[in-house]
Amino acid sequence: MEITLEVNGRTYSIAPAGRRLLAVLRDDLELLGTKLACGEGACGACGVLLDGRPVNACLLFAEAAEGHEIVTIEGLSTGRAAAVQAAFVAEDALQCGFCTPGQVVSATVLLERTPHPTREEIHETMAGNLCRCGAYPKIERAILRAAGEA
Amino acid sequence: MTTRFVKTQKEMEGRYEDVWALVDESDETTSWKPDADLSLVGQPAPRQDGAARAAGRVRFTVDVKLAGMLHAAVLRSPAAHGTVRSLDLAAALATPGVRGVIGPESELSLTTRAPLLQAEPAYAGAAIAVVAADTLEAALAGVAALALDLEVLPHLVDMQEGLNEQRFTTDPTDEARGDAEAALAAAAVTIEFALDTPAHVQTPLEPHAAVASWDGDELTAWVSTLGMFAAREELAKAFGLRKDAVRVRTEFVGGGFGAKQGAGFEALAAAELARITGRPVRLVNDRHAEQLDGGRRAATRQTVRLGADRDGTLTAIDADAVVAQGQGGWVMPVLIPAQTLYRCANVRALTFPVKTNLRAQNAFRAPGVMEGTAAFEQAIDELALALNMDPLELRRLNHADVDQVSGLPYSSKQLLACYDRAAELAGWATRDELRKPQPDGLLRGMGCATQIWWGGGGPPSHATVRLDADGNATVITGIQDIGTGTLTSAQIVAAEELGLPLSQVRVVGGDTGPNVYGPVSGGSQTTPSVMPAVRSAAAKVRKTLLQLAGDVFEIAVEDLDLRDGRIRSSDGAIDAEVTEVTGKLGDATIDGSGSRGPNPDGFVVHTFGCQIAQVAVDVGLGEVRVERIVAVHDVGRIVNPLTASSQVEGGVLQGMAFALSEEFIVDPTTGVPVNAHLDDYKIPTIADMPEIIIDYPHVPDANLPTTGTKGLGEPPIIPTAAAIANAFAHATDRRAAALPLTRARVLETLA
Ligand code: FES
Ligand code: FES
Repeated sequence: MEITLEVNGRTYSIAPAGRRLLAVLRDDLELLGTKLACGEGACGACGVLLDGRPVNACLLFAEAAEGHEIVTIEGLSTGRAAAVQAAFVAEDALQCGFCTPGQVVSATVLLERTPHPTREEIHETMAGNLCRCGAYPKIERAILRAAGEA
Repeated sequence: MTTRFVKTQKEMEGRYEDVWALVDESDETTSWKPDADLSLVGQPAPRQDGAARAAGRVRFTVDVKLAGMLHAAVLRSPAAHGTVRSLDLAAALATPGVRGVIGPESELSLTTRAPLLQAEPAYAGAAIAVVAADTLEAALAGVAALALDLEVLPHLVDMQEGLNEQRFTTDPTDEARGDAEAALAAAAVTIEFALDTPAHVQTPLEPHAAVASWDGDELTAWVSTLGMFAAREELAKAFGLRKDAVRVRTEFVGGGFGAKQGAGFEALAAAELARITGRPVRLVNDRHAEQLDGGRRAATRQTVRLGADRDGTLTAIDADAVVAQGQGGWVMPVLIPAQTLYRCANVRALTFPVKTNLRAQNAFRAPGVMEGTAAFEQAIDELALALNMDPLELRRLNHADVDQVSGLPYSSKQLLACYDRAAELAGWATRDELRKPQPDGLLRGMGCATQIWWGGGGPPSHATVRLDADGNATVITGIQDIGTGTLTSAQIVAAEELGLPLSQVRVVGGDTGPNVYGPVSGGSQTTPSVMPAVRSAAAKVRKTLLQLAGDVFEIAVEDLDLRDGRIRSSDGAIDAEVTEVTGKLGDATIDGSGSRGPNPDGFVVHTFGCQIAQVAVDVGLGEVRVERIVAVHDVGRIVNPLTASSQVEGGVLQGMAFALSEEFIVDPTTGVPVNAHLDDYKIPTIADMPEIIIDYPHVPDANLPTTGTKGLGEPPIIPTAAAIANAFAHATDRRAAALPLTRARVLETLA
């Protein structure tokens, strides 16, 4: 059975065959920026936007994404997202970079909802995005920088 | 150019071996002077590939896709110990989409690492069979069709039980100098401290992964590894190939922290299945497999006895460590801190490597030394308490001026400066104020710990630099970028030496194809090994460029200088873009290659540091909150302070989690790990982060060629847990018998 997915403003016909959205994005659409790190909903490396809300694509069945607007890291390169990315580079808020696309997705949404977040708000929103390299101090600074506060 | 062999010592995580180093006598050998006027080295620079990383455009091994590529799935032992009664390889092969299956009995073309697959798996997660299929789903269906029938055998996972039964992976070691027993008996003050440290899983977010593809008798393997040249060697040996018939590509690695060594099971199995099926094969661990079989820092049970004079002078150290090795692996140097951290004439160190039904332990950032420091540095604090001395003062008093094992001087040691700076930044002098009743009802305390590690690097390490007509330089290295920012450091060093802006220098690595050797990313040796080679290669290009400039401008080369991308004469008459010279090259290039010279004779090279932790303890909840860590590490010259501080922060956070939350738990009844997932193995989140204050003595190591830099990968993880535990004891007057300081353990300790 085929379904239609809207990803980064384009329409795709795919056969999900019971797979998760992440597998479809990575394997069928070759959108490889979104990462699989746990497949257990525990790390946020697979974060994408579903109608502007961040979701873990490793948990969501692809069928459930039909009729929703999906944006992946590949679709985030302008406006606030670009500011977040530039701040991540300037502050070195990335080490191996494997968690980074997910961090950028979450940070972009955070700033859209809360343009001037406090440290506590950053911690609360970003706690679902694990970084084993420990880039957290600089992720916090990058978000503050992108918010124009550092 | 004259090439010579020089005998030198090579060190990797404390293991020394004599090697012949190939030395090019035209290589740059003099170090930058401590006060050298450097314009780029020492200045913060963002990563050369930062924008690509932030945009999700860099490709890790898990992102490699090849035409016709198969996906492999692994059948792993569900039991800690067992023997395969039956395995239906034919049924797996008959599963739709399955193209190849290997099991313990399969005839394999690879010749080493035998057996690749286990007929008698000796730990939960041990690989028994691998299935390759058109899709991962089909491969998993093939694994199910194998219908494993495993007879479960008795297991042993408790290290005390292993010790009692004398089940060792290798013979216990007994290292001594002086007479610790007699010195303890004669000591005015003695203490004894025992600590259990947890098994600690590296947990890189990109799991172990490999993609293998054959073209006739030539193999290309994309491997998520810390050592692509080691992987090449291993694959060439395993398949009986010439070295240059194997190409390993490792451009970006999603973390490793010691775990991903050489080719690993993944690349060997993928290459074998690719050979059998005639198709490229990808093998990627899922998270559960990664946690079970990716590796870990071994759990230990340590006891430290110390003896001292009334004035605090250490007279005796007697330490022993039981190390839960699992199925084997080399024995980590757990007792190195006891043997080398302080001046002491009478030392005994006994290590018992116990064999248990877990995977062989492997390297995890500062293997051995970190868990050894966690116990030994708490013992030093206990001694300070018994002596009624300031813990930092006791450490200063027992400072080791020379290496305690060899008696040789250190190439450079700024530990006393680290103590002073850390104390100043942390407010150590007034730390007892923290113990006064606090408005928020929490108990606060401050503790310190000392760090020692190797980190001097050494040969062999090579680099080549090419300058093109357009004035852009390319540096080719053998570095695999695991997130440390080493490529960017190489960019800075090359640009400094070439006199070019950073934007005109690009560094490549991650491919054994060019055959420019670089070391494994481990042991804090990449920076001190690779940077001198890069500098040397760049120096040759600079020299040639200036010679050519002399030809073009018809002026003596001695009168020319190259800086900030411009060639200038001393009289000011010439001030030209580099391209005025390089532009005449046409399709020719200026090339230079450099190698890392030998380490100086007669010195021991180490890194040092001190961390001070401030914690707040909620005695009702048992929660320990780390409020601040001050980290001051002596690693010689800092090339890029921006990425250096990232290394320190990462190490501190992993050390903090070792102290507070991370513990790989094995069910003693079944022998099976119970938290081999990311949701129940508790790595820190951004909300757990303390304030981290970082500084360095900024003293280049004048005895190290040629950049004065040492490694910074391991040092920052080493003292964090001990400093936190010491701060906890300062706050509560109690010391836990084991780490991590989970709520349950804290409540038990305070009860
Ligand atoms: S990969 Fe989806 S949450 Fe970890
Ligand atoms: S940068 Fe490596 S996991 Fe976050």
